[in-house]
Amino acid sequence: MTRYLIRRLLEAVPLLLGVIALTFVLVHAAPGDPVRILGGDGGDEAYYATMRAKFGLDRPLPEQLVIYFGSALHGDFGYSYVQRRPVFDVIADRIPATALLMLTALAVSTLLGLWLGAVAARRADTPPDHAITIATLVGAAMPAFWLGQVLVLVFAAGLGWLPVQGMTSARGVAPGFDAAIDLVRHLVLPVATLGFLQLALITRITRNGLIDVLHEEYIRTAYAKGLTPATVVRRHALRNVLLPVVTIVGSHFGTLLTGAVLTEIIFAWPGLGRLLFDATTSRDYPLLMAMFLVASLSVIVANLLTDIAYTALDPRVRLT
Amino acid sequence: MLRRILVFGTALAVVFGACTAPATTSRSNSAATATATPKRGGTLVVAASVDPGQLNPAITTAGGTHFVADNLYNGLVFLDKDLNPKPDLADSWTISSDSKTYTFKLHPGVKWHDGVAFTSADVKFTFEQVLLKYHSRTKSGLESVLAGIDTPDDNTVVFRFKTPYGPLLQRVDVVEAPIVAKHIYEGQDPTKADANLKPVGTGPFKLAEYVKGDTIRMVRNPDYFKKGLPYLDELVFKVIPQAATQILALERGEVDFVSGIPGPDFSRLQQNSAMTIARSGAGSGGSFCNTTLIYNLSRPPLDKVEVRQALAYAIDRQQILDQVYFGQGKVGTSAINSSLGWAYNPNVAKYPLDPVKANALLDSAGLTRGGNGIRFKLEFVHATSFAKVGELMKQNLAPLGIDLTLTPLEVNAANDRTFVAKNFDIGSASYCNGPDPEIGVRRVYVSSNIGPILFSNGAGYKNARVDTLFDQAAAAADKAERAKAYFEIQDIVNRDIPDWNLVETEGYRVWSAKYHDPYYWSGNLAEAVWRD
Repeated sequence: MTRYLIRRLLEAVPLLLGVIALTFVLVHAAPGDPVRILGGDGGDEAYYATMRAKFGLDRPLPEQLVIYFGSALHGDFGYSYVQRRPVFDVIADRIPATALLMLTALAVSTLLGLWLGAVAARRADTPPDHAITIATLVGAAMPAFWLGQVLVLVFAAGLGWLPVQGMTSARGVAPGFDAAIDLVRHLVLPVATLGFLQLALITRITRNGLIDVLHEEYIRTAYAKGLTPATVVRRHALRNVLLPVVTIVGSHFGTLLTGAVLTEIIFAWPGLGRLLFDATTSRDYPLLMAMFLVASLSVIVANLLTDIAYTALDPRVRLT
Repeated sequence: MLRRILVFGTALAVVFGACTAPATTSRSNSAATATATPKRGGTLVVAASVDPGQLNPAITTAGGTHFVADNLYNGLVFLDKDLNPKPDLADSWTISSDSKTYTFKLHPGVKWHDGVAFTSADVKFTFEQVLLKYHSRTKSGLESVLAGIDTPDDNTVVFRFKTPYGPLLQRVDVVEAPIVAKHIYEGQDPTKADANLKPVGTGPFKLAEYVKGDTIRMVRNPDYFKKGLPYLDELVFKVIPQAATQILALERGEVDFVSGIPGPDFSRLQQNSAMTIARSGAGSGGSFCNTTLIYNLSRPPLDKVEVRQALAYAIDRQQILDQVYFGQGKVGTSAINSSLGWAYNPNVAKYPLDPVKANALLDSAGLTRGGNGIRFKLEFVHATSFAKVGELMKQNLAPLGIDLTLTPLEVNAANDRTFVAKNFDIGSASYCNGPDPEIGVRRVYVSSNIGPILFSNGAGYKNARVDTLFDQAAAAADKAERAKAYFEIQDIVNRDIPDWNLVETEGYRVWSAKYHDPYYWSGNLAEAVWRD
């Protein structure tokens, strides 16, 4: 296992270098110049020249790339043009908020999806199954930004049960239990918005997989042994359905960053998704490139974890 | 601009948005009461559309940073609602008769948030080492005309100019020239200093906490040099990117103050007696802004003045104001925004909606219709926030035989094509005049400002008389003389029409009626705010 892990991590290095080179070319190829954008409505040639020299943007592109590689290998990923701080500080500040949102959405949608899928499979072709199927199809078809707006209008603005925006109350809240409840209240709608698509997918995959599995001989044997339906599903059937579920969860985990952009904008959630959006519009090259790097890294790690999870779930799978 | 993109996207996405009629009445219900006595205490929560990123307003012109950070600092003067200079860090000032020397007497006993005394050395340092290097508007405006800054004593600052300079007082408020501390920034790169996240200012509030991307919490400065101010205990900025979400948060009491009301929400808020609404063309993100069309004068047939005049007669500016801006603003009439009353020429050539006249002008220019009725094609390159403007224009111009192609682009790509690559027929921009025409109007029309610079003379207009008049206006000693020059400039430009101001945009601010006296047109928003 250790040899496998080391090998996978080593394989990741050229991949990351390739990502750096590719994103470097892409961000510089896009129209729009960060120095001109910074100058805003009052810039002139003198200002542009000062800032270009400051950011090293007055050097030829290949030289800039080499300089960037060199610094990156020393762990220096540059300063954000807009925030004027090391980019890794900028990103590190926002990771907790996004992680909280994404992991909660992943956990809730996975567990709920498994449960609903099991319910639907056990009651296949009955009204509960149909209701669940329709709901999941509608859920998969709805765009996240529309769903988010509707949830806000109904539950926050309309009924007033939940806050409209943010991760915390701006007026401040007592630390401890009150703060925890405040956080949970703020999490509900964004998690619902972000997790709905995955909930729909996992429900359907679980349902369809379970329907197949539940017709197998060994399931009939388990029933014959006298096990309750719940135990049969939980202990015997579900495990065989988990592989595709794990695949979906792994791939969604890998797109941690970008998937949350719209949700974070609607709910004013202070995470990485919004940071990516802001960095793009201001052409903040160092920040953009660092974010692409972090995104690539999370995809690589997620794939690795998924592969390892396969071996835990299915003893027939060998890592090579 | 970015906010408009998100607002329109949201408006489309919300299924049950009632179609409200565009607001034709404005409620200039700016907070009451010279009669009520301000009470102490309370917290004001303000919605901010953009995370400031860092809290040093002297190294940037970004509206998002200034909206938040200006509350921690002061300028030499404070501009009142009509943008007249009043004392801030400077108690008084004198201008030499030749307008080449400005002497400011600073308020004694001002302290920085860390207790160190504020002196004239801070002013000199801020201008020389910070503003003139990194604040793009101050740099481009003052660097070439400023001869030097002297500090004869701790409470006096003298600005010396190479040529007579009229508009200095409009450029030294907290938005254009916030004063930062020499003892904090000396010897460091001001763009990278740690102090940018732990600001030390002179302002009415001190920073308590900055949760990145989320909240900026400030507390009252008990040693503020304006006795009795501020009234509030706390000022909190909450970062909420979407305008529609800001309004919902305001209505639910999660925030108390919002700058910018999306059109569809306007009438609902007007009818809400728990809200106060005020309207103004000024603000810390840019004052007296006009939505302007830029004509590429090097591209035929836009090089013919008859064509540009025909477009002026054909494009329905009132319709654009009503349908795109929901009545928030005024129809554009001249190169200078009408809010700059002293410089605005009301008697320039008028172009009332008249498609018949427009057609006649095009005929007289020899631009005949082809077999399909089309005289010529034009491409309108614009940021997506101007998309609706483009659609209305297309409808206006079709009967004239002008086929307008719409090219909406991401805002930076649009600016790049217009100002840098100069690959456009008609472009668009929101040109903010600023508190003085020297700040925001000159750069649009002078021939020396033609180049790959954003928001410059994108049309490529070259008129020697206009160039001379702008120089005269900047150098003139008194306002009447300056106005005379600006009046003539507007006469010329309204006949030549290198650019065309469609709408003078105004922003609405809305806040909970429990709060009073926000200075919403300036950087020091909450200096005098009090709550019931």
